[in-house]
Amino acid sequence: MKIRTILRVLVCITFLSLSLKAQVKQVTLKGTVIDEGTKQPIPAVSLVNSTTNKAVTFTDGKGHFSAAAPVGSTLIFRYVGYQPYRLKVSTDQLNLTIRLKETNASMDEVVIRGFVARSKEVTTGSSFSVKGDELQDIPVANVEQLLQGKVPGLNIQNNTGAPGFRGTVQLRGLATLAVSNSSNETFLQPTSPLYVIDGIPIDADKASEMGFDLQGPGISPLSLIPQEDVESIEVLRDAQATALYGSRAAYGVIIITTKRGHSQIPRIRYTNNFFVSTPPALRETLGGNDERALKLEQIYGNAKSFADIIRISQTPMLSDSLNSYYNNSTNWQAIFYRKTFNQTHNLAIDGGDQKFNYKANMGYFANKGILKNTGFSRYTLNMNAELRPNDRFRFTTFLSGGIGKQQKGDGLGFLQRGVADNAQSSSLLPGPSFYQSSGGVVKSLETVNDNATRNIRTSIDAEYTLLPGLKIMSTFNYSFSSDIEDTFTPAAANQQFSKVYGFNGRSNSLYNRNMLNYSATFKEKHSIYVSVANDINESRGQTSAIRQERTPNDQFQGPLGFDAFLSKGGGVLTYNRGRLASFWGSASYDFMRKYILDLAYRIDGTSSSGLNNPFSKNPSVGLRWNFGKENWMSHFDWLNSGSIRVSWGKNITPTGSLSSIYGKYNIGGNYNNQQSIGIDFGSIPNPNLQPKTREMYNLGLDFSLFNGKADLNFDTYFSEIKNELYTQNMSNTIGFGNFPSNETGMVNYGYELYFAIRPLSSKNPFKLNLSFNGAWNNNILTRLPEGYNGQNILFAGADGQHTILRVGRNTLSNYLYINQGVYAVDNDVPVDPVTGFRYQTGNQVYKAGDPNIKDVNGDYILDKNDYQITGNSQPLITGGMSASLSYKSVGMNIYGSYTAKRTILNNALASRLSIMNDPFGGKAVISLPDVDMWRKPGDVAKYPYAYDYNRYSIIQPFRYDQTLWQEDGTYLKINNVTVFYTFPKKFAQRLGISNLRVQMSASNIITFSKYSGPNPENVTALGRDLSAGYPNSRDYIFGFNLDL
Amino acid sequence: MSFNLNNNRNIQRKSKWLLFAVPFILSFSGCKKLFEVPGEKEYISNKISYGTKFFEPILGRTTLMGSFNADNSTQPLTFSIVNARYGDGRPITDFYKTKEVWVWTGAYDGKEKTLEEINSKRKKELRPLLEVRASGQLILWSSATDDLIPARKTDSTNLLQDRRYFDVKVSNIGGEVIIKDLEFRLWRERPYEPSNDFNPYTGKIAITPADFLDPINKLNYIRPSRISNIIGKSTRKELVSNDVVVSIRPFSGGNGHSLRFRFLDKNAVVINPAKFNETKWDQLVHGFNRQTTDEYVQYDVAYPIPLINIPTSYASGGRANVNFSYSRLGFGGIRQVGSIGLDFSIYREGDWEIVFQFRNDNPKFEDE
Repeated sequence: MKIRTILRVLVCITFLSLSLKAQVKQVTLKGTVIDEGTKQPIPAVSLVNSTTNKAVTFTDGKGHFSAAAPVGSTLIFRYVGYQPYRLKVSTDQLNLTIRLKETNASMDEVVIRGFVARSKEVTTGSSFSVKGDELQDIPVANVEQLLQGKVPGLNIQNNTGAPGFRGTVQLRGLATLAVSNSSNETFLQPTSPLYVIDGIPIDADKASEMGFDLQGPGISPLSLIPQEDVESIEVLRDAQATALYGSRAAYGVIIITTKRGHSQIPRIRYTNNFFVSTPPALRETLGGNDERALKLEQIYGNAKSFADIIRISQTPMLSDSLNSYYNNSTNWQAIFYRKTFNQTHNLAIDGGDQKFNYKANMGYFANKGILKNTGFSRYTLNMNAELRPNDRFRFTTFLSGGIGKQQKGDGLGFLQRGVADNAQSSSLLPGPSFYQSSGGVVKSLETVNDNATRNIRTSIDAEYTLLPGLKIMSTFNYSFSSDIEDTFTPAAANQQFSKVYGFNGRSNSLYNRNMLNYSATFKEKHSIYVSVANDINESRGQTSAIRQERTPNDQFQGPLGFDAFLSKGGGVLTYNRGRLASFWGSASYDFMRKYILDLAYRIDGTSSSGLNNPFSKNPSVGLRWNFGKENWMSHFDWLNSGSIRVSWGKNITPTGSLSSIYGKYNIGGNYNNQQSIGIDFGSIPNPNLQPKTREMYNLGLDFSLFNGKADLNFDTYFSEIKNELYTQNMSNTIGFGNFPSNETGMVNYGYELYFAIRPLSSKNPFKLNLSFNGAWNNNILTRLPEGYNGQNILFAGADGQHTILRVGRNTLSNYLYINQGVYAVDNDVPVDPVTGFRYQTGNQVYKAGDPNIKDVNGDYILDKNDYQITGNSQPLITGGMSASLSYKSVGMNIYGSYTAKRTILNNALASRLSIMNDPFGGKAVISLPDVDMWRKPGDVAKYPYAYDYNRYSIIQPFRYDQTLWQEDGTYLKINNVTVFYTFPKKFAQRLGISNLRVQMSASNIITFSKYSGPNPENVTALGRDLSAGYPNSRDYIFGFNLDL
Repeated sequence: MSFNLNNNRNIQRKSKWLLFAVPFILSFSGCKKLFEVPGEKEYISNKISYGTKFFEPILGRTTLMGSFNADNSTQPLTFSIVNARYGDGRPITDFYKTKEVWVWTGAYDGKEKTLEEINSKRKKELRPLLEVRASGQLILWSSATDDLIPARKTDSTNLLQDRRYFDVKVSNIGGEVIIKDLEFRLWRERPYEPSNDFNPYTGKIAITPADFLDPINKLNYIRPSRISNIIGKSTRKELVSNDVVVSIRPFSGGNGHSLRFRFLDKNAVVINPAKFNETKWDQLVHGFNRQTTDEYVQYDVAYPIPLINIPTSYASGGRANVNFSYSRLGFGGIRQVGSIGLDFSIYREGDWEIVFQFRNDNPKFEDE
């Protein structure tokens, strides 16, 4: 303040001294400066003399100014965030009204905070908005996919191409260490941010709540929102921004706002997309005689004994080439993969004015999967209506219903093991016909799998202004969803007996929120906002299933006539019921929109927290300084606005279950002819269980530069996750199996940067927008339960890829053998100086062509002592970029995304190479000329010799648990390129419509990567590239919009 | 005046610079330190152990002992033997003596053509008699012989002051653990196997009490591992292994690494080895420079025999296999192949002879 006073005095003195020198006629100017949009006075606007480039005076708190200036000079009214206004001084003007226009939309954007709309300028939390327009280029089943690479800090990996399924979503790093680990397929428990759709929190992970033993349809509620209906998406990243969504917000919050009606004349907008999905390049295999020749060559070259040669004549597939049964060249992969033609239609109607408006959106989306017998289709109807009879009362209703239908074939959707296995069949076998050489083909192609999720969400939202500034708001929401899966496996696919599986799940959720807000401005400088609120959420769900074996025939699919002995019958699979109740208060104060303080305090009770502490208390505080509004900043022409934000806060997400708190009773055996019911000894109940807590510090900087031509946002954060639920196995003397504890924690810290530039002037017919964003996130495990002493290894079976948790390191590391290449010659194999034995495993010594695996402990035997911690399964850097260029009505958009510094285990290559393990078997062979493989003594190669089939059983050259498969998963992907053209209005009107736009796009165009596998993105959240995964398709889209 | 304003601007510029710099400095100075994030530590389990705490190696042989269970501690670990002491607390020093010993540098496969080729795959190195290596395995080198390390008492007492205890210190960057009170009870050298012809406690020949004046009349003898179709000259019955006594004994006059085979009849008269006419002399042992005389067959060999425990054409199951055979026309004109064989090993380098003596009857080499 002092500096400012001094400055003012100095400016006045300077002005005076100048005026003394000039001796020109002075005129007096008086007036008010107001915002053109809001018509509110703007204080502290500087009036600058253009010739001297010095400030003459400033406006006061009410926007009034009074200045003297020489005739003929020009005064510039300058204020951060507004376009400068030039006034030519001629005569005395005592009642001027200067209207300043805003330059920069992003600062005055309205954002939703704690269910209340506020100006972004006065929010202290870190958030990022994406406009709905940016999400229309590519038709997708799940709008979330399109956020990839658009929001710094939001790491989205579209790692499955299965239609209707979600990829993985992480906001600001890893938030769980719960993995399910088996052999080389390790999955991470999804930790998706909380989605709030039109003020109603929904659980996007619903589809995978049962882990990866996926039962029922895997349709996320997010997949039932048509992208055409999305007005905007806002991602709340720090604890202050998410403070008021606390009870489930530990993973961040994503707010989706759907469109509202705002047109006096009713509008009808129709959007159509037609798209072709094509499978990616498939594995190259050798067909027909080439396969036979290679297998024979492999046997002759590597036979261990004469018995192997004899075996050729006993293997008709190899020896009886004239037998027409084995005289084929079947392309098995082509039997499963296909190109599909799909379409989407969307009809949106909206209209109304301030007093009453409405919207209805009807959507149809269908995407047949590139794997046969899979697909997703969606029918949606979303409506809302807002009634505002006077300034004090507002009433809004929402109704959305959706039906999602899905076919998963015989797989789990994102995992298609059946296809993966059968696509490896030998090309010598006859293809599918009346006679089936492979039952798996029928299973994959003829299994009738119908899934349907039906979802209804309704809500009403009322707001009443009691007194000026004092508002009462209430929201009531009910949503219901029903999930059904029916699977019929025909007899030919299941050893001549058909079977039936039925799944039925329903869940509903009731949500109510009440708020009392008060906002006021004192002396035009001090603004306060106070709010108290509560919300209650109750959700219930139950799933049940029935399985019947040996049903009558393929025509009559049941339910009558099954084999009672073999059938599993039916019953309840899961049952859940949970309540959340929260009470919170928040307060916010700002001084001249320059200095802002936000405080919030929230008490959350959840029924999945322990008995002893059902309520958790989550405070948060945020500060913001819009230093760009300081007067002294007005001298920096290039800076339109600038602010610095600091925040701290805590959030929770419930993780426990009722049985982890209260324990469980189970049905035991009979005692005295009475059914006994006793304690379940599997797990000790923990009445002290706490919800997962995330505490976050955030420091942010926002700049708008060069008259809005460039925007720069930078955020750095440190977040600590505590009380992660961790099931601790107990010693076998305890009596109980395990104990759910809270004693784990991890931290994430990192930086996020967003930079956008609009280099061309607004008058230029060419418009070019470029943006770049990136996030660097580092994750460290900080705590494990006491007994583990800082390390726990999640072993994944004999040949599996183990995951290790070690305190002080990135949470999920691999625990593998270190591969150092391939032994070029036999003498490269080290010899034990003590025993004279060569380096060995399983009593078989290594030789040339075998993998050189590091003998870490120096006993010249490869065993479990030689595992080492290595790699980081989570990406360190993620981000994206976009470019859009338009000239009048033609334009082009390009979106890209990248992920860097992540370890991928190329299991696809491992299984591709080990397909050669049995030349006598019924599998295809691949041609390996492109592989850097050892072939003869002396070869220095990367990959071991694949053709010596005798070494697979003990030496296991392509064992999964080695770093040979560990590769850098850095990639840059061009997500999509869109070209659009808007027809001239006149042309459109001649057709009887008001607007017509056509567009052509291609998505998933190209991925630049050094990764040697098929696709560095199509890997699990732990970086395992599964050959059984569902590949991502490349789509070519033609679409048009027309407005009536 | 304007000077002042400029000055002010300078301050602003500085503050602007600070504005950019402070958060960067704050964030890059390391959140890890600021928020006390624990650093990575190698893991060392406090449950690490050996499969046994008690070791009974035989001196004079290179022995690899100890199945170490690291309990997933971060490898490589550093091991050291500490606090080697007798039961009464006196320190043990003899383990730390150094002596030259053969260590392998290449892989012996039994196909070497010369002695030099074998020796090019190993070299002599000066090593402490007892070592522990990075895998936690304890190595008692063959250089640890009776004269350097006293073995257990010949009177088989095991008094506290004679018991050898030691601790093993295991460490990595994460910490260290001491595995305490491991114990050695050493067997004295047994330079060859089978060694049932002498007392393992004393190393002396145990003489039959019934006939203790006869130096040959041991309590126990080495017998041939195989004998078949050898017909006694006088009894005309097939000889069994108890009819033959084998001695493995040093002889003088060799070159320091020779092995000799001799055959004696029941009167201790030398049988010409040429009589074992079906013997594959060149593949008998992995030896070179065969010298065949009327009395013996001698080879230059590399000790120990066998060199390593892998199956070769000369050895299997950790023992060298020798077979001597001859053929004759048996009763009824059938060709009979008589053979006698021994599985043995010799650990001490020197000149050794293996003598087969037919004690009860002489073999019949002549046709019927």
